[in-house]
Amino acid sequence: MREIFYLMRQYLKRKRFRAVVMTGGIVLACATLFCAATLSRGIQDTLRVSRERLGADIVAVPAEAAPEAQEALISGSPTSFYMPAALEERVRNTQGVKQTCPQVYLRSLDAPCCVVQVALVGYDPERDFTISPWELLKSSEPLRNNQIIVGAKVISAVVGVPVKAIGQRLMFLGKPFSVAGILEPTGLGTDYTVFINMDVAYQMVQDSPLYPIPLKKNQISTILIKVEEGLNPEEVAARLEREIPELKAFTAMHLTGSFSLRLRELVNLLFAAGAFFSLLALILAGSLFTLSVRQRMRELGLFMAMGARRAFIFRLIILEAACIAGGGGLLGVLAGLGASALGKDFVTEMMGNMYMWPDAAYFAGAAASTVLAALFMGILGGLYPACRISGLEPYEAIRKGE
Amino acid sequence: MIQVEALDKSYKGAVVLRGIDWSIEDGAFAILTGRSGGGKTTLLSVIGGLTSPDSGRVRIDNIEVWRLPEAELAALRNRKIGFVFQFPSLLPTLHSLDNVLLPIAFSGRSPNSSDRQYAAELLGMVGLTGKEGHYPSQLSGGQQRRVAIARALINRPSIILTDEPTGDLDEKTEAEIMRLFQQIHSQGVSIVMVTHALNYASLGQAYTLKEGRLLPYSEVEVAPAKRVTQGGAA
Repeated sequence: MREIFYLMRQYLKRKRFRAVVMTGGIVLACATLFCAATLSRGIQDTLRVSRERLGADIVAVPAEAAPEAQEALISGSPTSFYMPAALEERVRNTQGVKQTCPQVYLRSLDAPCCVVQVALVGYDPERDFTISPWELLKSSEPLRNNQIIVGAKVISAVVGVPVKAIGQRLMFLGKPFSVAGILEPTGLGTDYTVFINMDVAYQMVQDSPLYPIPLKKNQISTILIKVEEGLNPEEVAARLEREIPELKAFTAMHLTGSFSLRLRELVNLLFAAGAFFSLLALILAGSLFTLSVRQRMRELGLFMAMGARRAFIFRLIILEAACIAGGGGLLGVLAGLGASALGKDFVTEMMGNMYMWPDAAYFAGAAASTVLAALFMGILGGLYPACRISGLEPYEAIRKGE
Repeated sequence: MIQVEALDKSYKGAVVLRGIDWSIEDGAFAILTGRSGGGKTTLLSVIGGLTSPDSGRVRIDNIEVWRLPEAELAALRNRKIGFVFQFPSLLPTLHSLDNVLLPIAFSGRSPNSSDRQYAAELLGMVGLTGKEGHYPSQLSGGQQRRVAIARALINRPSIILTDEPTGDLDEKTEAEIMRLFQQIHSQGVSIVMVTHALNYASLGQAYTLKEGRLLPYSEVEVAPAKRVTQGGAA
């Protein structure tokens, strides 16, 4: 084996440019594949966490306000839409629904504190199962009427470091509040939302004639729904829409899926590019190895004349292919890692300021798979010429090489 | 001893060798001449285990060459036979000493210090003392041929098969290379040489290939003015 490595080194020394071109092709293919794989996994993980942090399996909104409600849920764009609070009782009684809690959305607010526009949402802390579990920093006291919980992006746009925001005083609709908690990022509209006690929300509408909001005491904006264990939220959502036509029911999957559509297209594009470059690298490796073996036919024939076995010649070519491909694969992983790091900011922005790197085990697995794919490409490319030359008699190889 | 019996070989329908019978004693210096494309290289290649005959037998020291499995045939080429070709056959990225050591790599082991010492001795024998670290590009055509001769001897073969070893060399270098072969021959190594240099036909037992048949070379075909003194031929 040592002799094969020795001869391989000698040949690669002579044909540096060819080796660099071949390695370059494999690096390009592997970098694209690795980048696509890690970004895809990162997006999947982020969406999963995003769904988990949304807390609800289904969000029901007034049917007539479905488009603007969906936009508000996804992007946090300040808006207001209302439906009778009595609908919650009907929802709770629908088959498959385990738990519900209502929220009220107040219209757009130009908060003096923040660069970004925020939505003010009233919720019921006692019944809520969507906000409390994801409070990153919270006080041990229950939320008082003059306190708020803010979405991750609300504070980061103002202060930068979340911890300093606790206790900070902010004004909304002319009423002062202090920040009692901050939510973890969800990548959804929650990140741009300020949460207050529901009773306070109703009171604020009554007390602020300067801000006309058409919210009445017996109205709510959304109903957050948890479905029974083992049930498909899509089926429950369909049943809700069937039985309560006044409602539009969005599943968490639908909400997180719609904003990730562009990202999915990007990942698909990356995978397509990776597949294309892989095919190109395979063709390149095959062509260059065939050319290389054709040009070395006499030399390889001479090796056989000097006592090299056919298996030795075969191994020599395959090992050359494997080394170039393996090296290209490793460099490709590094390049892909760099590209993923560079693209992270872009993806993070597209995901609503939230992106989770895949864990180390995934990175290791993806790197190993990429290098294996590279080895496969290289070895496949070298296989035909290796079989061809090792099938020749030495004299034939020497003659063909002349 | 090399024994060739009833050897036939065709290429793409054209008969190149017809019923060749040839016996070359140990320590012989056999010279094979003939017109270009007459089958000399093919015959040498069949004897050396480089290409298989259509029919017939080749025995080297009573071993039937073309009945050997591939691995044993490769080992026979590696240990018993040294090849010297007409074309440049040195690896350009290896210096002279490593080029000489190359066949050892094919015997399944790495060269050791005594191999290196022997390779240096061989380079000295072919007149290249001090050129051990030179790369082929730093050597003349004649010097490269000498390295190739030294390489053919590294595994101490009993037979040297050489195909037009002086074909592209000037007369002076040609004479030097031929003297080198005489010197190797004098050490008991059998040499089978394909050559167009008819003036060297008298160095040993000369044969010619005509229409695929092996015939003894006629003395009258050698130009008297160019005859060379025979040295050590059996």
